[in-house]
Amino acid sequence: MSRFFRSVGSESDTESSEDELITSDEEATQKPRAATTQKSAMSRFLKSGSSDSESESEDSDSDSDAKPKRLPLRDASDSESDESDARGAVKILSAQEKRVVEMESIGRAIENASKINDWVAISSGLPSSAARHLADPVTEFDKLARMIQRQQTSAYSIPPLYLRTLLSLDESLGNAISREKEAKKKMNATNARALTAMKQKVKKASKEYEHEIESFTKNSEEYERNHAPVPPAHSQGPAQPKKTTLGSEKEGDEFTTVGKGGKVVQFTSEGLFKSLQALQEARGKKNTDRGEQIRILEKLLEVAVTTYQRIRVLLALISSRFDYNSSVVNYMPLDLWLSAQKEVDQLVAVVAADTGYSIQEVTTDYDETAERSPMTEGGVVHIRGSIISFIDRLDDEFTRSLQNIDPHGTEYVERLRDERLLYCTICRAQAFYEQTHQSDALGRVIMRRLEHIYSKPNAVVQALESALDLSETKPRMSLSSEGTTTSLIHGLCVYLYTTTNSLLRTRAMLCHVYHYALHNDYYTARDMLLMSHLQESIHSADVTTQILYNRTVVQLGLSAFRSGLIKEAQTTLLDIFTTQRVKELLAQGVHQRFQNLTPEQEKAEKQRQLPFHMHINTELLEAAFLVSSMLVEIPLLASIASEELKRKIISKPFRRLLDFADRQIFTGPPESTRDHIMQASRALQEGDWERCRDLIQSIKIWSLMPEATAVKEMLAKRIQEQAVKTYLFTYAPQYSTLSLSLLSRTFALPIRTATSIISKMIWNEELSASIDQSDGVVIFHHCEFSRTQSLAQIIADKVAGLVDQNEKALDAKIGGISGWVDRAEGAKGDKREQAQERRGRGERTRGSRGTARVGRGARFAQGLGNQMPGQVIQKA
Amino acid sequence: MADNDLTKTIIPYLDRHLAFPLLAWLVDNSIFPVNEVQIAQYELAKGTNMHDYAVSLFQQIHPDEPVPEEFANKREEVVSTNERLQHEALAVLQVIENPEVAQSLRQDKIQNLQYLKDKHNLMLEQITALYNFGQFQFSYGNYSGAADYLYHFRVLSTDVDRTTSAHWGKLASDILTGNWEVALEELNTLREIIDSRAAASSTTSLLSSTLTSTSSNVVSDPALSQLHSRTWLVHWSLFVYFNHPHGRTFLLDTFMSPAYLNTIQTSCPWILRYLSAAAVLSRKTSSSQSAPGAPPVSSRVRNALREIVKVIQTEEYQYQDPITTFLKELYVEFDFEAAQKALKEAVDVVGNDFFLGEFKDDFLDNARYLISEAYCRIHQKIDISDLSERLNLTRDEGEKWIVNLIRETRMGADAKIDLEKNVIEINRPPQLVYQSVIEKTRGLALRTQAIGTAVARAGAVPPEKQMQTREQQEPQQNLQSNQAQPTATVTAAA
Repeated sequence: MSRFFRSVGSESDTESSEDELITSDEEATQKPRAATTQKSAMSRFLKSGSSDSESESEDSDSDSDAKPKRLPLRDASDSESDESDARGAVKILSAQEKRVVEMESIGRAIENASKINDWVAISSGLPSSAARHLADPVTEFDKLARMIQRQQTSAYSIPPLYLRTLLSLDESLGNAISREKEAKKKMNATNARALTAMKQKVKKASKEYEHEIESFTKNSEEYERNHAPVPPAHSQGPAQPKKTTLGSEKEGDEFTTVGKGGKVVQFTSEGLFKSLQALQEARGKKNTDRGEQIRILEKLLEVAVTTYQRIRVLLALISSRFDYNSSVVNYMPLDLWLSAQKEVDQLVAVVAADTGYSIQEVTTDYDETAERSPMTEGGVVHIRGSIISFIDRLDDEFTRSLQNIDPHGTEYVERLRDERLLYCTICRAQAFYEQTHQSDALGRVIMRRLEHIYSKPNAVVQALESALDLSETKPRMSLSSEGTTTSLIHGLCVYLYTTTNSLLRTRAMLCHVYHYALHNDYYTARDMLLMSHLQESIHSADVTTQILYNRTVVQLGLSAFRSGLIKEAQTTLLDIFTTQRVKELLAQGVHQRFQNLTPEQEKAEKQRQLPFHMHINTELLEAAFLVSSMLVEIPLLASIASEELKRKIISKPFRRLLDFADRQIFTGPPESTRDHIMQASRALQEGDWERCRDLIQSIKIWSLMPEATAVKEMLAKRIQEQAVKTYLFTYAPQYSTLSLSLLSRTFALPIRTATSIISKMIWNEELSASIDQSDGVVIFHHCEFSRTQSLAQIIADKVAGLVDQNEKALDAKIGGISGWVDRAEGAKGDKREQAQERRGRGERTRGSRGTARVGRGARFAQGLGNQMPGQVIQKA
Repeated sequence: MADNDLTKTIIPYLDRHLAFPLLAWLVDNSIFPVNEVQIAQYELAKGTNMHDYAVSLFQQIHPDEPVPEEFANKREEVVSTNERLQHEALAVLQVIENPEVAQSLRQDKIQNLQYLKDKHNLMLEQITALYNFGQFQFSYGNYSGAADYLYHFRVLSTDVDRTTSAHWGKLASDILTGNWEVALEELNTLREIIDSRAAASSTTSLLSSTLTSTSSNVVSDPALSQLHSRTWLVHWSLFVYFNHPHGRTFLLDTFMSPAYLNTIQTSCPWILRYLSAAAVLSRKTSSSQSAPGAPPVSSRVRNALREIVKVIQTEEYQYQDPITTFLKELYVEFDFEAAQKALKEAVDVVGNDFFLGEFKDDFLDNARYLISEAYCRIHQKIDISDLSERLNLTRDEGEKWIVNLIRETRMGADAKIDLEKNVIEINRPPQLVYQSVIEKTRGLALRTQAIGTAVARAGAVPPEKQMQTREQQEPQQNLQSNQAQPTATVTAAA
């Protein structure tokens, strides 16, 4: 045994000569070889396979099992290796065979060691009980790996044995680690260290041979058959090697030199179409080796001479790259993605350069195997394929990989850098479609482009666009030609508005609105959103569009908040917060409470998730919402107490939190954002506006908001104003007069502002008071009703309510739009609108789970925006 | 001053001919250098067939230079065209003016056409000659003649596009002849046409050629073309509304209707100036009962001010001028000092505006009323000198003003002037309970009746009806006596 290992070092020199020895042997390999080592290796291999599975099951049992087994197992392995040793001594083995035997023995050793949990032996090769006979300090695994490498360099395929070993190692590693976690008793230090080292090595190795492993696990027998260490065919004669190698059917006759492991493989351009066809037939079949296909195609690409050939090969190559990973959960390997991206670029370049060729999804049938050119076709050559779907797929794969990569790791950032490449590809495609006037595809590709930039701040868009400047083909619209990001997006959107595809129009509109909202252009964004009347039809849109709609509305709310339009922000954000499923509605997280989803639904939901860098920070969102709710709700609460009037609760989520906070007996110093806001609300209720301001301003999450300081100042001002109101509501019954100057001092407001606030309250009849200008005081009027009087008022209210209800009932029955009576006059008209609105809301709650949500701006048609998108319905 | 001038904004939405009065106003007003305005006038006139006018303008601008040759040529051309068209139109006119024919014409246009064709061998094409001649007359400034021909054409023609444009032409002619009653009628019919025709084909043709409008003439989208038509109508109607005696009320009525408010907000927010001015001007009609002879005032007009303030608030980001600022400061911010300042500017703007110019004093007067009304409502004790200052009046004037105010408005009983302390005291007793109850139940009877008729129309189920009839009785009881009302309503609402 040890003899083999010693020979390892010198083997490479002798290899070539030995190879020849093997090739002469090849006739023998063709027929069943009963007595050859080859066969014995095979059979032993199979045997070991069976024992492997058995050992695995044992392995999973427990730690204690392993110990008693140690001895017999070692014996077994010893005897086995002895046996092979003996046989090796008898027969003269070729280099290849030697290696195989060698590998096997190492494999066995590894297996044994792993069974007894001796990682040191496997990894570091220190003398241990299992591997004592291996004095060589080189680790077993490393040895194996090195041999495999050599095997590969000599263009042999990877032996199944290696893969099997890798797999079983992987598995037992996993077992060991989990056991290690469970067991309180630790392994000894060296062993543990070896275990981790091993883990890494195995990982590395399995990555390296990823596709081999995959195809192996898929169909191990097939793989074994294919990869049985067959001596490679050598180019001794053109006819001879045909059909000698297994699994080479698809390569067919056209190869002058064939062989899985053939050293020189030549593909000619003449046979290119045939091989392409063969590949296409094999595509999608169960036991097709996709990796191999890709490799062949890459080679074919190198030999492709004419434009037509190159296009055909590129088409096949890109689609087989995308085919490579069929499972839905995982994403495409990054290197594959990158090369696919390059090839799409190449394809676009090729097609753009030669106008004699066009790629279309639907073409007339043509002979797949014949060479075609503009000459033979008499004009443009149509080729079946679709660049736009490649771009779509490329983009989707990019998103998918981002979804799967941990967003807090460096890998994510690395991956994000690829967006530039992708963006360039998209732009190139756009330029291409502009050139060829394919409006349908152009719309789609512009949409892709838009989706990459609409939610990003200017700097990021600039970075993306700067990459574009370097490329030679430029689309019509670019940042450098348009000047600002806004005008670029405007240009893209305007193009999309003119397309016939309504989905694209909708999405473009939403992206446009989102962009305006992001850049604090609240009014434009609001008007656009309302004018689009999307809120009426968004229910019927597909889920991703609904998500986009939700994002847009939320961003609009944030933009209102930043602009200091507290009421607007509150009403806009209210809808999404009352659902209590903010994350889910924005596709930033899966929420599983109270839901039983089928696995398919769950999977679909997961696929919809936005990649992390697109997220809108929900905590910031909540802070904005709660603070604006506070500013709206607290004065209202105060007025209820003073007027004994039941008013509608404006913000349920806020009220709930406030009630909860009120019930608590002890309140500690605030920690979370919510704590801050709740305590601030209390301070505001007590009129302690300074404390309220400090609490609100100390919320950390504001730092994530652009122009944080300006926002904080704005909030401070709003808090002052609302504090005056709250104070007046709360304490009016206790005063008969109140000096204006005192008020302005207490709340640090100029007298003019204070007067203005009070005047407003008096005018709106919120406060029964009047100002005595000469003395500078507010005089409160108190009036108390007798019981009969208040009862009379209640009754009058109820009667009015009854009529309202009747009208609504009638509205619902007849249908509001047609209008059952011309009541467009004054307040009554308003009421009908409200009724319609309320109905709209009912529909919303009935709407399907998850993403349905609607703003309430339907009245834009009648009186354009004299109400806010989500005007709160006030009961008369 | 020029900052607040809207002429430049408005002109694109007007007909070439309608723009002349505006420019003439500017010449008189000397906001802009007279010379520049004259050049503009000349440029404008050059595009029309009013060559004499153009020549006179040219001479005004360039007194020393000879008049270009082309005018003479063009003039001849025009005269010959005129003759030709007149000749064509005359044939039709003769037939139509025949009393026999006039009698036998009916409401049905198709029948009329058939009749004319049978009896007088008059084809549709010939009728179109009327239109052409009318248009031509309009283009050289014979507006009354144009109005006449277009009227005849409209009566006979079945061509929808031409009829519509004949409407526009007639409206323009009526405006330019200063025939406000007729123009108002025309305006209303045109409005009906625009509103009813959802799928309006473009309103191009007659006038689009002479229009200086920048908006595209070929409008594919019916909704868009309707918007364009409405925008034009809004601008054109300003002429009528600010010249007709009851125009302001009509203006409020039209512009405050949802469709037009929408139009204003979407495509021409600057119209808000005229809307707010009209609202201020018609304060008296909205607060007191309408004067005899005036048209009935709808609730839309009555609440106009409140609605407009809302609109101003939402459109603030798009448009604001001293007039809107004045309303905003007064009714949103309740900052009387700022309102005062804005009013000063607003009065200037009003004085310099083509449409509003005549109403400068009226506007100031009404705006003062508004300020003092709001001021008195909020305050209990007011220093007279302070109030006078706020109203831009001297003390004596102020006192007189305030006495008038107290007499005119409803707060007569509540406000008293204390000359010793030089203050007004306003005692506003809190609203009585019975009053508020009446207030709340006032409209109910009407509304229930409306429901009742609607139910009857829809053939609703009987139980609902019963409920409503019961309700119908009950608010009436409320109104009859507030004493009996609690018991009465209890039975009804139970």
